[in-house]
Amino acid sequence: MAEIRSGEAEMLTTDETSRHYVTEARYPLPLTPAMHEVWELWQRSKTLEWDPQTDIPWHELRPERYTPEQILAARMYWSRRTWGEYGAISESPALLLRFCLENRQPDLRFFFTMRTMEEGRHAEASWLMAERLGGYFAQPQNPPTAGAVGTHGVRRMAFDPDTSLEGVFASLVCAAEEILIDVFRATVDRATNPTVRRMMELILRDEVRHIAFGWQCLDAWAPSFTPATIRNIERAVATMIENVEFRGYRNLWLAVEGGDATPAEIDADRISCEAGLGGSTPEDEMRVFPDFLKKIRKRMAPWGVAIPLFDHPRLGRV
Amino acid sequence: MTSEREAKTGAAEALLRAYQAQERRFVERRFPLQFEPEVPAIRELYSQAKVLRWNPETDIAWDRLDVGEYAPETREAARLTWSRRAWGAYPGLAESTALLVRLCLESGAVGMDAKLFLSFRPAEEAKHLETCYMLAERLGGYVPDPGDANVRDATNHPFAQAALDPDMPAEAFVAALGALDDQLDLNLVASHVQHAQSEVVRQALRLIAADKQRHVMFAWTFLGARLPRLGADGRNAVLAAVQNVLECVILAGYRNAWLLPLASREAWVQAEAETAKGGLGASTAAQEERVLRATVAQVRERLAAWDIALPSASHPELGTL
Repeated sequence: MAEIRSGEAEMLTTDETSRHYVTEARYPLPLTPAMHEVWELWQRSKTLEWDPQTDIPWHELRPERYTPEQILAARMYWSRRTWGEYGAISESPALLLRFCLENRQPDLRFFFTMRTMEEGRHAEASWLMAERLGGYFAQPQNPPTAGAVGTHGVRRMAFDPDTSLEGVFASLVCAAEEILIDVFRATVDRATNPTVRRMMELILRDEVRHIAFGWQCLDAWAPSFTPATIRNIERAVATMIENVEFRGYRNLWLAVEGGDATPAEIDADRISCEAGLGGSTPEDEMRVFPDFLKKIRKRMAPWGVAIPLFDHPRLGRV
Repeated sequence: MTSEREAKTGAAEALLRAYQAQERRFVERRFPLQFEPEVPAIRELYSQAKVLRWNPETDIAWDRLDVGEYAPETREAARLTWSRRAWGAYPGLAESTALLVRLCLESGAVGMDAKLFLSFRPAEEAKHLETCYMLAERLGGYVPDPGDANVRDATNHPFAQAALDPDMPAEAFVAALGALDDQLDLNLVASHVQHAQSEVVRQALRLIAADKQRHVMFAWTFLGARLPRLGADGRNAVLAAVQNVLECVILAGYRNAWLLPLASREAWVQAEAETAKGGLGASTAAQEERVLRATVAQVRERLAAWDIALPSASHPELGTL
């Protein structure tokens, strides 16, 4: 970490060799808000903090009211949600590193710190739910399924100079998070368990800000999109749909090649949802997913972005 | 202007490629993904972070800060001091994030307490940054650039990249940045609180100090849980990292204006002295020197408990530390 003038830095190691680091071009370091709406999201997120341990009515969960099949399904559903939320603390924070090194607007950097905090909270909340329903599952039942539910690849994208920041935003925030929240919105009313429902409401409240952040940034940057940026966005969104959503990252029922997941895992979302313990049914997915794609297609069209149609064995051509 | 922008873009791409190369050297094993507490003291620090949340906008009585009661030269000094504090707070956003990403890359099976704690820390650093910015703004305006190459260099280090370096044990990074630098930062803030007379500045410093106490406690607890299991090479790396940060970062003026290169320090030292005199949240150079010496002694004693002997450091003006 002892710097040398060339802009590289070295750190002495035990074997007297040195490693070279690259120093970011940090200054000037503007901190004045530059994107009013994003700054407002940062301010708002500070006033809406909550604690999964104390702000959820755990005493109303009462798992003994449910059948063993329902409890197992709900434990599977909330365990998988935990794995998904973990992706938001292990992968997407890489975006903040990119904002810093690219000297992006201060609003982005401020807001994204809160986003990471909120995702940590969601991971803890989802884990607690699985635990208090009878036990969290630390891994999928069949190891190969880990590839489908383990990563959405955002960290790799964020560190890839050939993937534009706009592409990462569009795929993570406007695609992956948007569908998650559309399904949450469509099913929260069916979460009859008050503990589950309250948790879903609190998560939803945070996620709405995360999505607003993505759209606001892209709307603001859209006038400067080049044809290459637009292609990058199209490619990134298509990758997120085909290689992440259609592999079952969020819902294993959607997995085009679902051979690795067990029938119990595939059916978990439906059984849990029908029990009022959170999740979605295939009918929900059949309705929400095409609407979601229509929505983002329409929303991105003014930027010149054309999201293609996708073929899915259960959803059809969407 | 164009060449400056091109240079920045070039540096950004080089750094991004460096992150990419580092990330690829890890083989992430996400499953089994364990969430059970393994170091209860760190899980407790995470729980405290959730409860002790605050908001710089609403939890500091800004309306009681009457800047008109200070002389123009005091206000000017204080805005420089608080701008420099903002430059010192800013690296925390990326450092903590990089460490979080690194721990996740290392294993899904261990370290969830630290990961949850670190998922909160960047936001706390951002709140400190916002507080410094708001103080500088109210005192006359935040200064976004040191305007001096020496100060730029002294306040800009590639710590985030170090956090992601698979050749550097996480323990070495936490020892150098958490146990040494964060400890010094906390002790300096405590000194500023003691000497601040402005009620609003004291309130801001106290809120920041409360978070920093947790950050320092995290570092020592993390080391307490991991250092005893670390092999000889790892412990040597810990020692080298601490020594390096002490000699090449801290003694080069990262935290203390009076340690900046001679040619660049005068304006900043004067600003600190005037800010201290005005009671607006600073300590004199003499007070800071005592804090620095005490901190180094404290860190040396604590590391010695794990048989890590931090050697003396020498400085042309300070002598031996």
